Amino acid sequence: MSTSAAGERSNPADKAYRWVDDRLAISRGGRHLLNKIFPDHWSFMLGEIALYSFIVLLLTGIFLTLYFVPSETTVIYHGAYKPIDGQRISEAYASTLNLSFAVRAGLLMRQMHHWAANIFVGSIVVHLLRVFFTGGFRKPREINWIIGANLLILAIFNGFLGYSLPDDLVSGTGIRIAFSILESVPFVGSQLAFLLFGGNFPGTAIIPRFFIIHVLILPLVILGLLGAHLGMLIRHKHTQFRQAHAREDNVVGTPLWPTFAMKTGGFFFLTTAVTVLLGALVQINPIWQYGQYYPYKVSYAVQPDWYMGFLDGALRVMPAWELHLPGHMIPNVFFPAILLPGITFTLLMLYPFIEAKLTGDVAEHHLLDRPRDRPVRTAFGVATFAFYFVLFGASATDVLANYLSLTLNFVLWAFRIMAIVVPFIVFAVTYKLCKELQQTPSAGKRQQFNLILRSADGGYTTVPAEQYPGYDQPELAPVDVEKVELTADAAQQDGDEGVYEIPRRYR
Amino acid sequence: MTGALRRLVAPLSLVAAAAGLGVLAFAPGHAGATAGVATGATATASPPAALPGSLLAANATRTHSSSNLQLGQTLFQESCSSCHGTDAQGSALAPNLRGLGAATVDLWVSSGWMPLANPAAQPVVKPDRFTRAQTVAIADWVGSLAGGMAIPHPNLAGASVSEGMSVFALNCAPCHTITGAGDALSNGITAPSLHSETATMINEAVRTGPGNMPRFGPGTLSQKQVLDVVAYVRRYIQHPTSGGNDLGGIGPVAEGFIGLFVGVGLCVLAAFWIGDRTPRDLDEHAHGSDVPHGPGTTEHA
Amino acid sequence: MPDLPPHNGQVPRLNDEGRVPLDAPQFQIAAHNPRRVEVAVAAFFLLSLAGFAGFGAAYWQGASNLWLGMTLGVGFAGFGLAMASWGKWLMPRGPFEEPRAPMATTEAEKELFIADFASRGKVAIARRHALAKLMGLAGGVLGVVVAFPLIRSLGPLPGNTQYRTKWRKGSFLTTIDGRRVTVNDLEVGGVLTVFPPDDLGGAISQTLLLHVQASGNVVTMQGRETWGPNGYVAFSKVCTHAGCPVGLYEELTQQLLCPCHQSLFDIYTGAMPVFGPAPRPLPQLALYIDKSGHIRAQHGYTEPVGPGFWSRGAAPFARYRGK
Repeated sequence: MSTSAAGERSNPADKAYRWVDDRLAISRGGRHLLNKIFPDHWSFMLGEIALYSFIVLLLTGIFLTLYFVPSETTVIYHGAYKPIDGQRISEAYASTLNLSFAVRAGLLMRQMHHWAANIFVGSIVVHLLRVFFTGGFRKPREINWIIGANLLILAIFNGFLGYSLPDDLVSGTGIRIAFSILESVPFVGSQLAFLLFGGNFPGTAIIPRFFIIHVLILPLVILGLLGAHLGMLIRHKHTQFRQAHAREDNVVGTPLWPTFAMKTGGFFFLTTAVTVLLGALVQINPIWQYGQYYPYKVSYAVQPDWYMGFLDGALRVMPAWELHLPGHMIPNVFFPAILLPGITFTLLMLYPFIEAKLTGDVAEHHLLDRPRDRPVRTAFGVATFAFYFVLFGASATDVLANYLSLTLNFVLWAFRIMAIVVPFIVFAVTYKLCKELQQTPSAGKRQQFNLILRSADGGYTTVPAEQYPGYDQPELAPVDVEKVELTADAAQQDGDEGVYEIPRRYR
Repeated sequence: MTGALRRLVAPLSLVAAAAGLGVLAFAPGHAGATAGVATGATATASPPAALPGSLLAANATRTHSSSNLQLGQTLFQESCSSCHGTDAQGSALAPNLRGLGAATVDLWVSSGWMPLANPAAQPVVKPDRFTRAQTVAIADWVGSLAGGMAIPHPNLAGASVSEGMSVFALNCAPCHTITGAGDALSNGITAPSLHSETATMINEAVRTGPGNMPRFGPGTLSQKQVLDVVAYVRRYIQHPTSGGNDLGGIGPVAEGFIGLFVGVGLCVLAAFWIGDRTPRDLDEHAHGSDVPHGPGTTEHA
Repeated sequence: MPDLPPHNGQVPRLNDEGRVPLDAPQFQIAAHNPRRVEVAVAAFFLLSLAGFAGFGAAYWQGASNLWLGMTLGVGFAGFGLAMASWGKWLMPRGPFEEPRAPMATTEAEKELFIADFASRGKVAIARRHALAKLMGLAGGVLGVVVAFPLIRSLGPLPGNTQYRTKWRKGSFLTTIDGRRVTVNDLEVGGVLTVFPPDDLGGAISQTLLLHVQASGNVVTMQGRETWGPNGYVAFSKVCTHAGCPVGLYEELTQQLLCPCHQSLFDIYTGAMPVFGPAPRPLPQLALYIDKSGHIRAQHGYTEPVGPGFWSRGAAPFARYRGK
């Protein structure tokens, strides 16, 4: 040891490290960081997709800001794209055209940025679903759950702002709807809309304001919350599934250095590769076809990006109601565009507390549930997700009607009915499925055992085996067993003790 | 290295250049390929890359003699008169065609909408049953009965795609979408895709307003503006643009599905490959004797 | 540190004092045949090398989006595959264990913190109530006044702009090019977007002029007998649902369709919504034809155009009618 250590000391890198360490003492915490254990299950990597696509967003976004001009000043375009040649367009739109056609690799960067945004929000949702269905939000992780929910909201908002920046026909229509939605905010809606837009629609300053929110304010907030999100991950240590050696009081897996670092580094590049290849092969938001936005021009088949789809779908399926009160009116768009997302995200953030209240389970949990073991939560989650998925589908009523050769009226009514009926059906089916899965033999990949006790008079009772004394770890009540057929082998081994240990996997 | 790359890039740029040439020259061969109906056999026979070729070809069909009118009348009597009446005066089944003009008849026949089962419903496109010359003959004969708009012969030589796009966005995009993909209107009516319409059909449709479509007369759009729109649709709407597969030009819905199911899907697959699929060391250790199954079990025993 | 059940040596802790020996089974690699994995990793790195170099060359040549993206994408994919394979098969496979203490602090620790904070705070602040109140007051005023430059300067307040458009008595219906529309301009079944002359392209004033029949007044509603002369009729183009331009005129059914959320308005009943989420009819602009044949507005809109807003209420709209 001494010889090798002496050899290392003369190494310049080693020397440099010692110099820094004498001043910052990184060895103390550093070793803990190197040895931080990450469980290996693939589903724990879903949040990393969001992290890495966010990095892609930052890098491509920096590139785009170098060429994008956030200005509504009118210029006459004389550039590479002939159909717009000589048209009066805004500088924002002109600069987006230029960075798409005149800047080398500009179109690739723009398409990567847009695809990465779609993947960013999508992976946040997938990550959220994993955390929800495995109960990863329970004590002590409620705060981190709320931060995650806020990250989702901010990602959606920032996506919408970015989508609006090029000042093209499709996004301009989206901004028009956003103005109407702002106007429907209770009591202060009109004032809010006028202040944000700098006057009545289309306002005077929307592109520069959206720009600074999109590239500075929201990214800073997202970065801050992301730091807190990851900081808490380190503080709480990772959750893990029930498996051999995994307990409430430990984490089992591979260390950060080198295995996890190498794997996750590779994952970063693979995520990046997906956005690059999509940017190369699949066109996204061809703004040159859309043309400059003018408030009196419109295209059919305009939709927001997918993460706003549930809002657009809700706007479409909402019945034509509007409440008139003395001196006030509740506009139609208030219900689908303010009330619905308000309830959605409030419930999302409060869910850990609601569940704790309902189940009375206030213990700390570091071992995750399997979804089937919590059939009510799972069914509720799947049903809620199905509701939003139906609304997402409803944002394409016209396109679906066109491609399926159905009438618009039929498709809209189908979605109105589905939005109400599907969640209930999905709840029932999921609940039943969970219950069935609990009974299947393959459900046995777990180390929580039930004990089947035979009493002196020959009857059987089932009790959960106490796993680690001192740790509150609520498990499902075992299914009562009337009669257990023991294999000859098991009976021979344990027969004379009168107690049979039968893991669920063998039932 | 650069030389090798240039050799790699060369075929691609050739293809791109050819495509660009096709766009600019509005090559007749291309028109035949995309439209199917185009301006008939004469167009494809004309020498390639000759810009006015298609226009000359169109002009060739224009000169209708009395023998052509005779042919048109005969074909009309054979195929159309059972609904529209022997003199195109209409019947209980179908409307009067007199005064509608040759352009209207040409559009409805050459688009494949005729024969139409229900005038109020979305026309179903059927395979061509007439040659181009026959269609023109029918249309000209109906036009000769009581006047109306003649079959137009759009000359796109001086048309401005820039002006055309502007007109398109204001007047056409509300129904046909800004990419020309078409979309469903109310009550089962559809604004059709513009991706395979010929220049003549677009000109006719704008002026005559078939079915549910509004009519854009000279007071709304000048002849120059119509030609501009036709040029924009033919040269840009009907050709793929930069950036890869356009997913049918139906906008963010298709993009969202690709983003979610291909983008996020591939990333999840990568995670699935990198990470562990099952609680890992369970199978290999669970049967081993040295791993405790949990302390509770033995204590109970 | 809580009591931990004794681990059996199968799952070593890296953070324990002293190192876990590198020859422990957990430091073995996952690959059964490391040589093959090494070849695969090398191949992936070579692929990524080719991809990155290709990207450089493609950039140098100003190649198309496809070439740029494919080369860069292949480069990233090869790099990622190589790194992930290396980590997955050629690095310590574990498992290792890290202990975890319960998150919550003990009751004693909580008590100590609270006691320190409260007792010192009492000495410092509570004995000087007046100062604390002044501090709160000054801070509160700052909080209020800071909101003015931050928020109030952003834009004007609505005032009555939501209630009125630029349409006035006698306004010429004008196209976006500034051309005055005459009675002969539209074919039957024609449609045109028009503006008041002083608000060309205006988002709120935009109006859809339709020629729905060859002649005669178009009567859409009782009290609007003279609003649609010579088969012409005009409606606000701003949807009453979410404000999109209602630009889709379906001639066969004489209906207007909104492209955003598919609200359908029936022209002959005064643009009454018959389908979709729009709650109110599109406001109609009263027209007349002057002696020279120009189509003009009888007066402004008689109700606010566009989507609803909270203060719209049931106020009498007549007083906002244009002069």
